[in-house]
Amino acid sequence: MNVQPLPETVEATRSDLVGRLRTNRLVVFGLSVSLVIVFAGIFAPLIVPYPEDAGGAAHPRETLLVPSSQHWFGTDQLGRDVFSRVVYGARVSPMIAFLVLLIACLVGVPLGLAAGYFGGPIDEVIMRVTDVFLAFPALLLALALASVLPPTIGSTTIAIAVTWWPWYTRLIRGQAASVTGRPFVEGARASGVSHARILFRHVLPNSLTPLIVQVSLDVSAVILTVSALSFLGLGAQDPTPEWGLMVNQGQQYFPGQWWLVTFPGLAILITAVAFNLMGDGLRDVFDPKMVRRRGALGG
Amino acid sequence: MRTKGRMVAVVAVFAIATAACTGSSTSPSNSGSASAGGDATFSYATFTQVMISWDPSSAYSNEIIAMSNMYETLTRYDSETQEVVPSLATSWTSSKDGKHWSFTLQDGVTFHSGRPMTSADVKASIERTMELGQGAAYIWGAVKSIDTPDDQTVEFTLKYAAPLDLIASADYAAYIYDTQAAGSKDLGKWFAEGNDAGSGPYTVDAWNEGQEVELRLKASPDYWQGWDGAHYDNYVFRVVPTATTSAQLLRDGQVTFAERLTPQLYDSFDGQDGFTAASAASWQTLLALLNTKSGPLADPAVRQALSYAIDWEGMMVALQGAATSLSGVIPPGLWGHVEGIEPTYDATNAADMLGQAGYGPDGDPLSLTLTYTKGDSDEELVAALMKSDLAKLNVSLDVRGLAWPTQWAKGKSQDLTERQDIFLFYWWPDYADPYSWFINMFHTEEPPFFNLSYYSDPWMDKTMQEAQVVSASDREAAIGLYGQMQDQVIQDMPSLSVYTQQYQRVMLSSVQGYVDNPAYPNVVFAYELTPGS
Amino acid sequence: MTRYLIRRLALAVLVVVGVVILTFAIARLVPGDPAASWAGPRASREEIAQVREDLGLNLPLPAQIWRYFTGVLQGDWGTSIHTHRPVLSDIVNRVPPTIELVVAAIAIGLAFGIPLGLVSARWAGGIPDGLVRIVAVFAVSMPAFWLALILQIVFFQKLHLLPVAGQYDPNLDYTNPLMQYTRMPVVDSLITGNWAVFRSAASHLVLPALVIAAYPFGVVARMVRGSELDTLSEDHVKAVRALGFPERAVFGRFALKPALVPVISVIALVFAYSLVNTFLVEAIFDWPGLGSYAAASIGSLDTPAIIGVTLFVAIVYVLANLVVDIVQAWVDPRIRLT
Repeated sequence: MNVQPLPETVEATRSDLVGRLRTNRLVVFGLSVSLVIVFAGIFAPLIVPYPEDAGGAAHPRETLLVPSSQHWFGTDQLGRDVFSRVVYGARVSPMIAFLVLLIACLVGVPLGLAAGYFGGPIDEVIMRVTDVFLAFPALLLALALASVLPPTIGSTTIAIAVTWWPWYTRLIRGQAASVTGRPFVEGARASGVSHARILFRHVLPNSLTPLIVQVSLDVSAVILTVSALSFLGLGAQDPTPEWGLMVNQGQQYFPGQWWLVTFPGLAILITAVAFNLMGDGLRDVFDPKMVRRRGALGG
Repeated sequence: MRTKGRMVAVVAVFAIATAACTGSSTSPSNSGSASAGGDATFSYATFTQVMISWDPSSAYSNEIIAMSNMYETLTRYDSETQEVVPSLATSWTSSKDGKHWSFTLQDGVTFHSGRPMTSADVKASIERTMELGQGAAYIWGAVKSIDTPDDQTVEFTLKYAAPLDLIASADYAAYIYDTQAAGSKDLGKWFAEGNDAGSGPYTVDAWNEGQEVELRLKASPDYWQGWDGAHYDNYVFRVVPTATTSAQLLRDGQVTFAERLTPQLYDSFDGQDGFTAASAASWQTLLALLNTKSGPLADPAVRQALSYAIDWEGMMVALQGAATSLSGVIPPGLWGHVEGIEPTYDATNAADMLGQAGYGPDGDPLSLTLTYTKGDSDEELVAALMKSDLAKLNVSLDVRGLAWPTQWAKGKSQDLTERQDIFLFYWWPDYADPYSWFINMFHTEEPPFFNLSYYSDPWMDKTMQEAQVVSASDREAAIGLYGQMQDQVIQDMPSLSVYTQQYQRVMLSSVQGYVDNPAYPNVVFAYELTPGS
Repeated sequence: MTRYLIRRLALAVLVVVGVVILTFAIARLVPGDPAASWAGPRASREEIAQVREDLGLNLPLPAQIWRYFTGVLQGDWGTSIHTHRPVLSDIVNRVPPTIELVVAAIAIGLAFGIPLGLVSARWAGGIPDGLVRIVAVFAVSMPAFWLALILQIVFFQKLHLLPVAGQYDPNLDYTNPLMQYTRMPVVDSLITGNWAVFRSAASHLVLPALVIAAYPFGVVARMVRGSELDTLSEDHVKAVRALGFPERAVFGRFALKPALVPVISVIALVFAYSLVNTFLVEAIFDWPGLGSYAAASIGSLDTPAIIGVTLFVAIVYVLANLVVDIVQAWVDPRIRLT
C-alpha cells in the first residue's frame, strides 16, 4: 500500500453524499449485505436451528451428514450443524477485524500525529520504525508472530494489529504534516495554544476522513488475513466457529464431504466482497478522486 | 487496445487448449505387475520426505520405510506369533540372569559393498551406534561389552538384565552394516551422499532429494536369501503430501501402495475390484494422562468417574475406523497385551461417583484443563468429544491445543498450578517391549519427563524392574507381571486408554502376501511380497 | 540520480537491519522454552541443553542479538526441525518453483488486468464496466486457499481437465529426463526443447497460477481503471480531445502511459502479497516451493524455519521495493526530489 500524502479533500454537502451513495448500485448492495452479515452475527442464537453446535456440543453418531432439510449445510466431523456454525462465524471474524482496526488506530494514529506535527528527530525515529514494520508483507509478519504466540483469538488479534498500525501512522503523518504546515497552526502556536489542543482540535479532525475511508477498505483485508491465519492453524481453535478454521478442518474430507469447505469459504468471500464494496462506496462518497490509486488495492 | 485484447484472448485460448489436450494424459506405468520377463516395481506413496538421514545408526524418522529394505537387524519381531524370529542371527541363547547373550550369525551374508558379514561387523556397527549416541541409540544402554569369539558368533555382556533379542529387533538403531564401506572417507559423510552399506534385499539405485519420486531402490543380486520365484525388482518411494492425491494415483495405477488414507477415502476403496484395503492395529497408543498429584484429579474416585463419563464407542464411530478402542496400556500384537479391559461408558455410574466427590449434575461444577498437541486432527476430535461428554455431567473441560514444546513444558512445570489436569499424547515403543510404556510414563519421576500423570507407586516401580529382568529369560512370567501392572493402572487410573491408531492402507490387488507389522511402523518388506498380474 | 540511489540504498540497509532485529525479537517471544521450540519434540534433556548453548540463550541480551545478527550474515539461519537441514539451504532449494508460480501469476494478472481495466474505464458507467468491477472485486476478496480447493474440485474431479498435483508428471523423469538449469521446469524445458516436459509442466502450472493471479488481476484492473479515469479528466487530455483527436487516439496514445505508471508502483506490493499467498496455496497443489515449505513449517511449528522464511521474504520485499522505487525515480524525475 503506497500511501502518499493526500491532496485536500472536497467537503461535500450532505445531499450530495447521499445522492452519490444511492446511485451506485454495487455499493448499496455491499452495504446491505454487510449489514445482513453483521446482524446475522448479532442475532445468531435466535436464528440458527442448533445454537449449541457453535459451542462445545458434539454428536459423534451424526458426523459428516450430507446437506439435507434437517441440516441445510450438512454436519461436520463432530456431527455439528454446519449452517449454524457458519452463521455464528459472522460473530467471529468481523469482530476480530473491528478489534484489530481499533487497536491499530489507537496505536498508529497518535504516532502518526506526533511524527507529522513535531517533525524533526521524532519524525525520523517514528518513520524508521514504521519502515521496518512495513518491510514485511502484512500476512507474513502476522504469521510469524502468531506462530510463536499461543494459538488463541487474542493472539491473532494482536499479531494482525501489530502488522497493521504502521499503515495508519504513515497515513496520518502525511495528513498531520500538511495541516501543521498551514499558517493558522503557526499562528496558534505563536499565540501560545498548547500542542495537545492544536493536535486534537485542528490536526486530528482534518486527518480523519482519509483514515475512515482507509479503515473501511481495510475491513475486508483484515477478515481475509484472520481467516488465512486460522486456515494455517494459528489463531482460533476448535470449537470456535471461525470460517478459516472450518475450511482448514474440512480440508481432509475434501472433496468427498465438500460441504465442510464450500460454505465457510463462501462466507469469507461474500463478507469480504460486501465490505470491499462498502469501502469503495465510502471512498467514492467522501472523495471520488481520492485514494483511487490506493483504494484499488482493496485489501 | 482492441488488438491487444484480442491477442491476449488468443494466447489464453491456445494455452488452455494445449493444457487440456495434455493434462489428462499419463504415461503407462508398470507398477505392481510382473509381466513375462518384465520389471516388477513396487511404488510406495508416503507423506513426507523419506530420507532425512542416511546413517543407519542415527536415523530416527521416516527413513525406516526405506532403510528396513536396505538394511537388516539380527532379529525380527513377528507381531502375529508375538515371537522374536531370526533374521541375520539364526539362533541365540541367554544366561539365566539375563546378562549374557550369545548370537549365532547367518552364513553367506554379503553387504552391498561386496564384503561378507562377520561377527566383527556386528560388533562394529552396534558400537558405532552406541558411540554416536543419537536417535534411538539408548536401546543399547544395557550393553557393557561385545565379544567375537569367532566369525559367526557374537557375545554380549550386559550391565543389567535386558531382553536383548527384542532390543536387537528394534526398528531404529539396530541395523547391522559394513562400517568399512566408505574406505578411507568419513563414514558419516559417505552416508549423507546417499549411499547404503546394508545387507538387505534392496540397495539404492537413485536418490532425488526433494523431488516427488524421491528414492529408487533396486534388487541386490547377491542377497543371501536369493531371488527364486517372483519378486519385486524395483522399489520406488514417492512423496505425496495429500491423501486425495495418493488415492488418485492409486486409481490410476501409478502407485502400488498408499501408506495412509483418510477413513473416507479408505472406505471408497473397500471392496472395490483391483484394490485391497487393509486395516490393522498399530502400536501408536493415545493416552490421557490424569494429574494424580494436584488438582481435582488427585482424587482416584474422580479419575475413575472420568473413565465412565466418556462415550468411548461414540468416539470410535466418529473416528470412522482411524482408531480402535484400547484395552489396557499395551496394544494388540505386542506380547503382554490383555483383552477385555478397555474403558466403558456408563454415564449414571459416572454421575454417581462424581456426586460422591461433591461434583456432578447435582453438585459443584468441576473445571478441568486438557492439553493436546496442536496439528493432530484426531487428538482435536477426541478432545472435543470429551468436552462435549463431560459438559453433560457439569464438568467443564478447557481444551488447549499447544505446540508440543509448549505442551510439554507446561506439563513439566515446577509450578503445580501451571500443570494441566489431562495430558493427551501418543506413545509407541522403540522396540517390541511393554516396558517402554511403564518406564516412561508410570515410573516415579522427579522432576517429570514423560511421566505426566506424576504417578508414583513403589509397587509399580519395583514390579516393572522385575518384569524387565524376567523378560530376558522367561517371557511367560513377564507377561504375567505386565498383566498385573495393567490391572493396577485400571485400579489407580493414572491414565485413560483412549485408542490405538488403525493403519488404513490401500494397495493394488496384484500385491500378494502383505502383512502389516506394527513393530515396524509403515514398513513394507517388499522382498516378502509376490507381484501378481 | 546517484544521490537518490545512495539515499535509498542506505535506507534499505537500515530497514534490513531493523528487520533482522525484529525477527530475533519474535523468535525469542516463544512462551515456554525457546530452546525446546528449536530442538523439536521428543528431544532429550541433553539435546535441549545443547540447543540452549548453541542459541546462546545463556548470554546477556545484546550478546544474543549480536550473535544472531552475525549468524544471519554468515548464512547460519539455524536448522529446520522438520527437515533437519540448514534453513537457508532449504529456502534456497525451494525458491525456484515459487518464482515460477508467482511470475506466471503476475503475468496472467497483468495480461488480463490491464486490458480489462482499460475496457472498464473506456466504457465507464456501462455494462462492461460493471462486469469488470464485479469480477475485480471478487478477485481481490477471494480467500486463496478456498479458490484453490474449488478449482481443484471443478477442473480435476468433475471435468478431468487439468492435473492438480506437483510441477509435472514424475514419470517423465525416466522417459524424458529434464536437464536442470534454472530448476524451473517450464523454463528449463523451453531452453532444452524438451516438449513432453514442457506440456506437462505448463498444464500443471495453470491452476496454481490462476489461483495466485486472482489478487494481482483484481488490483491491477481496479487501479488501471481508476488511474485511466483520472488521467482522462486531466487538462492535457482534455486539450487533446478539444483539438479533435479521435477517442481511440485520446485513450490509447495520450492517456495510456501516464495511467500505467501507478501499476509499476504497486508491482512490488502485489509480488510480495502473491508470495505470501503461496503459503496458503502450494500445499493444496503439492507444489514443491517455498510456500509449501512455509506451510509445513507453520504446521509443525518449526520455529527456525518460520523465522528463516519470514526473514527471507522480508528481505526480498525490501529489495523489490528498492528496485521499484529506483525504476520509478528513473521514469519520473519528480520523485527524486522527495
